[in-house]
Amino acid sequence: MPVPWESLVPFGLLIAMFGVAGTGLRTSRMWQNDWKQPRYSIDKWDDMMMNRDNKLTGSPRGQTSDPTPPPGWNNIYYDRK
Amino acid sequence: MAESSAPVPVVANDPLPPLQELGATSAPLKSAAYFIGDQCKEFNEDFMLCKNENRDPAHCLAEGRKVTRCAADVLNKLRAACVQEFEAHWNCLEWNNQYYYACRKEERPLNACAFTKLGYKKEIPGSPEGKTPIHLIERPYFKRQQK
Repeated sequence: MPVPWESLVPFGLLIAMFGVAGTGLRTSRMWQNDWKQPRYSIDKWDDMMMNRDNKLTGSPRGQTSDPTPPPGWNNIYYDRK
Repeated sequence: MAESSAPVPVVANDPLPPLQELGATSAPLKSAAYFIGDQCKEFNEDFMLCKNENRDPAHCLAEGRKVTRCAADVLNKLRAACVQEFEAHWNCLEWNNQYYYACRKEERPLNACAFTKLGYKKEIPGSPEGKTPIHLIERPYFKRQQK
């Protein structure tokens, strides 16, 4: 008996469409976050720290463990004044 | 932004020379947090009590200076002695929304290295007496993979 492969085409379409859409969305989100998983449940502390990271490295997800900051840099608190 | 290599003074009339603020970002700080807390306990407590009296930035310059110096010292020592484990741990934190529970596998070698080479111990203040602290439980309930 020949297998009715035409009836599986819609399933394949659905899988492909969802797959492409989901992968595209994930790739776009990762690209926005320096190819790291995006942050979620960001509270005001995390927002403040990401802002500080942005000032230190140029990107909210950039990280450096060097205690010496770039020249002429001082803490975000004083920027308000 | 001034491009000089000297630290910029922040508060006018600071009697001491300007201090370079801490340039480490959030993930390495979170990774080293308990070591900084262990080593710099007295300085941190002094600073907090001083701030409790008066929130004016000019009031607590000396204590703040000690806090910054101590934290920078801990970070430098960690980077000198345990750089691989340290980088692995904070990279894992960055991947996992900076949650500690997701990075226990990287945390154990970091704690071991910090203890053997530097004598730093991770202790969670306020953890319940008589029970194993959460970071020492061998097979924790809450893991990366949800049950």
